[in-house]
Amino acid sequence: MTNNFSFEINSLLVALPEIFLLSSIVIVLIIDLFLTSKFRQATYYLTQLSLMVTGILSFNLIGHPETVIFSNSFILDNMASVFKVFITGSSMVAMVYTRHYLLQHSLYRGEYFVLVMLAVLGMMVMVSGYSMLTLYMGLEILSLSLYTLIAIARNRSIAVEAALKYFVLGAIASGLLLYGISMVYGISGSINISDISAFAHDPSINSRDTLILNFGLVFLVIGIAFKLGAVPFHMWVPDVYEGAPTSVTMFLSTVPKIAALAMLVRILVDGLGSMHDYWSDLFLALSLLSISVGSVVALMQTNIKRMLAYSTISHVGFIMLGFVTGVVSGYGAAIFYVLVYVLMSLAAFGVIIILNNKGYEADQISDYKGLSKNSPWFALVMLIVMLSMAGVPPFIGFYSKFSILQEVVSAGFITVAIIAVVFAVISAYYYLKIIKFMYFDESDKDETISAPMDIKLILSINGSLILVVGLFPDRLMNISMSLL
Amino acid sequence: MEFEQILFYLFSFWFIASSLAMILSRNTAFSALFLILSFFSAASLWLLLEAEFLAIILILVYVGAVMVLFLFVIKMLDIEDSTLRAKFTGYLPIGLGVAVIVIAEMSLVLGVDQFGLDVVPQPIRHASDYSNITELAMELYTIYVYPFELAAVLLLIAIIAAITLIHRPDKRAKKQSIEEQVNTQAKDRVRLVSIAPYKKKDEQ
Amino acid sequence: MTLDNVYLTIALSPLLGAIIAGFFGGMLGRKVTHTITIFGVLVSTVFSMYVFNIHVLEGGDIFNNNIYTWMQVGGLNLSVGFLVDNLTSVMLVVVSFVSLMVHIYTIGYMDKDEGYTKFFSYISLFTFAMFMLVMSNNFMQLFFGWEAVGLVSYLLIGFWHHKESAVEANLKAFLVNRVGDFGFLLGISLILMYFGSLDYIEVFSNLGAVEGVTILDGSLVITVICILLFVGAMGKSAQVPLHVWLPGSMEGPTPISALIHAATMVTAGIFMVSRMSPMFELSDVALTVVMVIGAITALFMGLLGIVQNDIKRVVAYSTLSQLGYMTVALGVSAYSVAIFHLMTHAFFKALLFLAAGSVIVAMHHEQDIRNMGGLYKKMPITYITSLVGTLALIGFPGFAGFYSKDMIIEAVHFSSLPYSDLVYYAVVAGVFITAFYSLRMFFIVFHGKSRVDSHTAGHIKESATSITFPLIALAIPSVIIGYITIEPMLFTGWLDNSITVSSRHSSMAELSYIFDSAASMIPHALLTVPFWMMVLGIATAWLFSLHKTEWADAIKNRFHRTYYVLDSLYGFDRFNEIVFVNGVKKLGLLLWKVSDMVIIDKIVVNGSAKFVGFIGSIIRPIQTGYVYHYAFFMIFSLLIILTWTLFSGNNPQLNVEF
Repeated sequence: MTNNFSFEINSLLVALPEIFLLSSIVIVLIIDLFLTSKFRQATYYLTQLSLMVTGILSFNLIGHPETVIFSNSFILDNMASVFKVFITGSSMVAMVYTRHYLLQHSLYRGEYFVLVMLAVLGMMVMVSGYSMLTLYMGLEILSLSLYTLIAIARNRSIAVEAALKYFVLGAIASGLLLYGISMVYGISGSINISDISAFAHDPSINSRDTLILNFGLVFLVIGIAFKLGAVPFHMWVPDVYEGAPTSVTMFLSTVPKIAALAMLVRILVDGLGSMHDYWSDLFLALSLLSISVGSVVALMQTNIKRMLAYSTISHVGFIMLGFVTGVVSGYGAAIFYVLVYVLMSLAAFGVIIILNNKGYEADQISDYKGLSKNSPWFALVMLIVMLSMAGVPPFIGFYSKFSILQEVVSAGFITVAIIAVVFAVISAYYYLKIIKFMYFDESDKDETISAPMDIKLILSINGSLILVVGLFPDRLMNISMSLL
Repeated sequence: MEFEQILFYLFSFWFIASSLAMILSRNTAFSALFLILSFFSAASLWLLLEAEFLAIILILVYVGAVMVLFLFVIKMLDIEDSTLRAKFTGYLPIGLGVAVIVIAEMSLVLGVDQFGLDVVPQPIRHASDYSNITELAMELYTIYVYPFELAAVLLLIAIIAAITLIHRPDKRAKKQSIEEQVNTQAKDRVRLVSIAPYKKKDEQ
Repeated sequence: MTLDNVYLTIALSPLLGAIIAGFFGGMLGRKVTHTITIFGVLVSTVFSMYVFNIHVLEGGDIFNNNIYTWMQVGGLNLSVGFLVDNLTSVMLVVVSFVSLMVHIYTIGYMDKDEGYTKFFSYISLFTFAMFMLVMSNNFMQLFFGWEAVGLVSYLLIGFWHHKESAVEANLKAFLVNRVGDFGFLLGISLILMYFGSLDYIEVFSNLGAVEGVTILDGSLVITVICILLFVGAMGKSAQVPLHVWLPGSMEGPTPISALIHAATMVTAGIFMVSRMSPMFELSDVALTVVMVIGAITALFMGLLGIVQNDIKRVVAYSTLSQLGYMTVALGVSAYSVAIFHLMTHAFFKALLFLAAGSVIVAMHHEQDIRNMGGLYKKMPITYITSLVGTLALIGFPGFAGFYSKDMIIEAVHFSSLPYSDLVYYAVVAGVFITAFYSLRMFFIVFHGKSRVDSHTAGHIKESATSITFPLIALAIPSVIIGYITIEPMLFTGWLDNSITVSSRHSSMAELSYIFDSAASMIPHALLTVPFWMMVLGIATAWLFSLHKTEWADAIKNRFHRTYYVLDSLYGFDRFNEIVFVNGVKKLGLLLWKVSDMVIIDKIVVNGSAKFVGFIGSIIRPIQTGYVYHYAFFMIFSLLIILTWTLFSGNNPQLNVEF
C-alpha cells in the first residue's frame, strides 16, 4: 500500500510552539525532581519562561500563510496563532496570582506548574486541531490536567468532590462528543475537518446523510456546550468553581474558554458551516437558557466564586449568541467577547486571590464589605471589573455585549436581543451588589490587605486595560474580526 | 445462515447478556467478571471483522491488566453493595424510560434502513496472508503520528496525576533535618507567655 | 512631523502632564510636577504657534481628518478627528498661551496649598479637554470636550471642598450646566436625526436638505436645532438666565477663575456658535434670540458689578457682561468680531483675574475691596498691569478691548434684525457701566486712603516673580493685540475659511466699508457716543469712589429699592431656590410616593424577587450536588434536544405520521 506521507522537518516548524512547550514540560518536570526546597521557586520561573517563549514563538507565526501539516490534522492560521498568544499570555497572568495563592495555602508543588503547562499544551492542540481526533485529544489533555489541578488540594474534601464531579461528568460529555464524532465519521468517511466540510458542502448530499450529520451534530454541540458550561450542561460549573482552589478556578474559568471557542469554530464553522441552519436553533436555545439561568440564579448566591460561576454561564450565553447569527462578523463578535471575558475574569479572580489571605477566605460576598476603606486600590479594580461585567460603558464589557447584540439585531433576531438585554440588566444587580458592599458598607474587619509587588502590578495593568481597551476598543475588535 | 453469522449472533448475545449481568449483578466481583466476559465477546466480534490486532490488544490490556487490577481493588476495598443498590430501584423507572426513548430515537436514525448493507457497501474481505498489524502500524506512525504523540502526552498526564494525587512525601516520611537542629535557638524552643490571673465565674 | 502628529502632540502633551501629575505627583514632589506640566503646556503653546503660522499666516489648507475611529455603529461613524482651520488656530494660540501663563502663575499662587500637584493635574487636564473641544471635527468629540471641560471646572470650583460655599457653588455650577447640556444634547440628537451624521463638514454640506422642513407645530428644524445648541452655549457661556453659576465659581482658586471662568471655557459657547455659523445663518429667529439674550446679559450683569464688593466677583460680573457682548456680536452675524473680542478678552480678563489674585495673595486672602486701598505704592507691577487690564476692558482707545468692543457696537448698529436698535442702546449703555464699575474697583483697591488693617498692612509687598511674570506677559497683548490683529482678523479674511455669513446679514460688509485703519480709529473714537459714555463712566467712578465717597452711600440710601434689586442679583437665585429647588423637592416627594413605593417597590422589586424565587425553585432541585443527578440531567437534556431536533424546530428531520 502506498502512502503519500512526507516527513519534512521544515514543515514541522509551524508547530514549533507546541514542540517547544512539550519539550520544556518534560525538562521542567525533570528539573523539578531534583530541586531542593530552597530553589523550588525555580519551577515557577521556568514555567513562566517556557510560556513566554511559547507565546513569542506563536506571535512570530502570526501572519504565516495558512498551513496544514501532519496529514491534515494540524492547521496553522491566524486564528490559531493569535489564540495561542492569548492563551499563553493569560496563563502567564494567572500563574502570577497562582504562585501567591499556592504559597499562602501551602499547596506549592512543582507538579502544579507542569500540569498547567500541559493544560496549555492541550488548549494549543485544540486551537490548531484540524481533525476531530486531534481536537478530541487536545480536549482530553486539557481536561485531564484540569481534573488533577482541582484535586491537588486533596486535603480539602470539597476540592476532591469537585474534581470527581467534573471528572465523571466530563467523561460523560467526552463520551457524547466521541459518539457525535463517530457518527460524523461514519457518514462522511473522514475525521478531517476539511473533508467533513467538503462532504457537508456538497450540494448533492442526500437527506439520509444530512439526517445523520445533524444527529451527530447534536452530540458534538452537547459535548462542547458542556466544556463551555452552557445551560443545561452547566451543573458542574458552580460546584467546581466553588470547590476548586481559587487559583485553579481562575485558570479553568478563563483560558479554556478561548480553546473551547476555537473548537466551536473549527467544528461548527470550518467543518459544518453549511449546516448552520440546523445548529443555529440549538445554539439559540442554549444561549438564551444560559443567559437567563446564569443571570437570575447568580442573584441568590452568597459565595462569590459561585456567583462568578453563574456569571460565567451568562457570559457563555452571550458568546454562543454570536454563533446564532451565522455570519463572520457574528463569530468575530463572539471571539471579541471571549477575549474580553478572559480579561475581566482574570482581574476578578485576581482580587479574590489577593483577598484570600491566610485565615481570611474571601469567598463570601459579605467579605467584601468596606473593602474600599481597607484597600481602596483593590476595591477600585474590583469596581472596574464589576462595572465592566455588568456592561457599563466605557468599560470593555460594554463593547463586547454591544457588538454581540448589534450582530444579533442585524441578523434579525430583535426579540432575542431584547431578552438578552433584559437579563443583562438583571445581572447588573449582583455586580452592583458587590460594589455596594465594597463602598457603602462598613467592614467588620479592619486589616489592610497586602500583596506582593508583582501581583499589584499585574492587577493594576489588568484593571486599567479593562478601561483603556474600553476607551479604544477598535484595535482588539479589528483583531477579533480579522481572525475568520 | 452461514457459520460466520451464527458466530456473530452467538457472540452478540453473549456480549449483551454479560453487559446486562454486569449492571444487574449484586456482587461487585461478579460484575467485574461479567465485564471480562463481555470484553471477550467484543474481542470475538472484532475477530469476525478481521480486526485481529484490536481483539488481541483488548484481551491483553483490558482483561489481562486492567480488569485484574480492578478485581484486586474491589477485593481490597470490600465495598458494601446494599447502600448503592438502595437508590437504584427508586430511579429505575424514570431512568429506564429515558433510556428507552433515547435508544428508540437513535435506532430511528442509525437503524438498519440507514446503515444496512443495501445502503453501505460490505467491507472487502482480505486474503489470509493480509497483515492487519503492518497496516495499522503504517497508519499509526505516518498519518496518525500527531494524535499518537498526543496520546503519549495524555498518558504522561495520567502518570503525573496519579503520582500527584497519591504520593504524600512529607506526611509519611519523618526525616531528620540536621540544618534545622543546628540552627535552632533557645527562643525557638521555649516561649514565655504572661497570662493574667483570673478567677472562674462560678468561684466568685 | 506630519501635521496630524503636530495636532496630536498639542492635545496629548498636557494630558500626559496631567496623568503624570495626577498619579505620580505625590511621588515626584512639587517641583518636578510643575516642571513637567508646564513643559507639557509649553510644548502645546509652541506647536500652536507653529500651527497658527501654517494655517493663518501662510494660508495653509484646512485640515480635516479622522485620526481614530472609535466606533462604527451601523452607518454612523464615531471618530476622534481634527478640524483645524484658522478659527481653531486662533483658539489654540489663545488657550495654550493663557494656560501657560496660568500654569506659571499657579506656582506662586498655590504655593502653600496641600493640593498643589492635584491642582496642576487638573489644569493640565483642562487644557487637554479644551484642545479636544476646539480641534474637534464632529459633534461627538465636541460634546466630549464640552463635558470634560465642565467636569474639570466642577472639580476646580470645589477644589477647596472644606469650604461649604465652595461645595455649594460646585453643585450649583453642575446643576445649571446640566440644563444647558440637556439642550445641547437635544440639539445634537436632532442633528443626528436629520442629517444622519455627526461630522461637521458633512452636516454643513447637507444643510440644504432641511431647508423649509418643520417639526412640532411648524417651527423650522434649523431654528429649533440652533436654539437648542444655543441653550448649551448659554449654560457654558453663562448667559441669562443660566448665568447664576459663574459668580459662584469664584469660590475656586483664582488661577482657574482666570483660565476657566474668564479666558477659555466660558468662551466655548461663543466658539461653538461661531463654528456652527453655517447653521445659525439660516435662521433669523435663532440669531435674534442670541442677540437679545446677549444684550440682556451684557447690560444687566454689568449693573450688578457696581454693587459688588468682592474683588473677584466684580471681575466675574464684568466677565458675564463681556460674554454678553460676544453673544450680541454672534447674534448680528459678526462672528469674526465675536472671536476677536473673545481673543482680546481672554488676554485682558485673564490679566485682571491674575492681578486680582496677586492682590488677594498680598492681602492674605482678603477679597473685600472695602478693606483695601492705596495699594499702588506697595504693588507697582500689579498696579500697572491692572491699569492696563482695566483700560483694555473699558475700551480705552488704543487698547485691545477698544477695537473689539467698538466693532461689536458698530456691528449692532448696522444690523437689520428686529430689536437691534434696542440692543444698540443696551450695549452703548453697557460701556458706561463697564467703565463705572471697573474704575470704581480700581480706584478703591489701589488709590485713596488705605483701609487695610494694620496687621496686614505691614506685610503687603509685591508678589513673587512667578506671579508678576504672567501679569507682564499678559499685559503686552492686552495693549497691542487689538491694534495688530483687527484688520487681518475682521476684514482681510483670517477667519474666512471657517465662518459663513449669509448675504442677508450685512453688518460685516458695512463695517468693512467704514473701516479705514486701526490707527485712524483712535482719533475717530473721540467723536463717537461710546467714547463719551466711557469717559462719563470713569468720571462717575472717580466721583463716587475717590472724590465724594459719602455720595455713594447717600445714593445707596436714596435709591434703596434699586440697590436692593441689584444686591439680591435680580432675585435669580431666590427664584431658582423657590421654584426649582423646592418645586423639585415636592415633585420628588410625590414621585417617590407614587413611583418608588408603588411601582418600583411593590411591582418591580418585589415582583422580580418573586420571579427570581420562582426560577430558583425550578433550578434548585436540579443543583443538588449529587453527581448522578447531574449526569441524569445531562442525559435527559440530551433526550429533549434529540427529540426536538428530530421532530420539530425549524428543520424537522423525520416526519412522524400517525
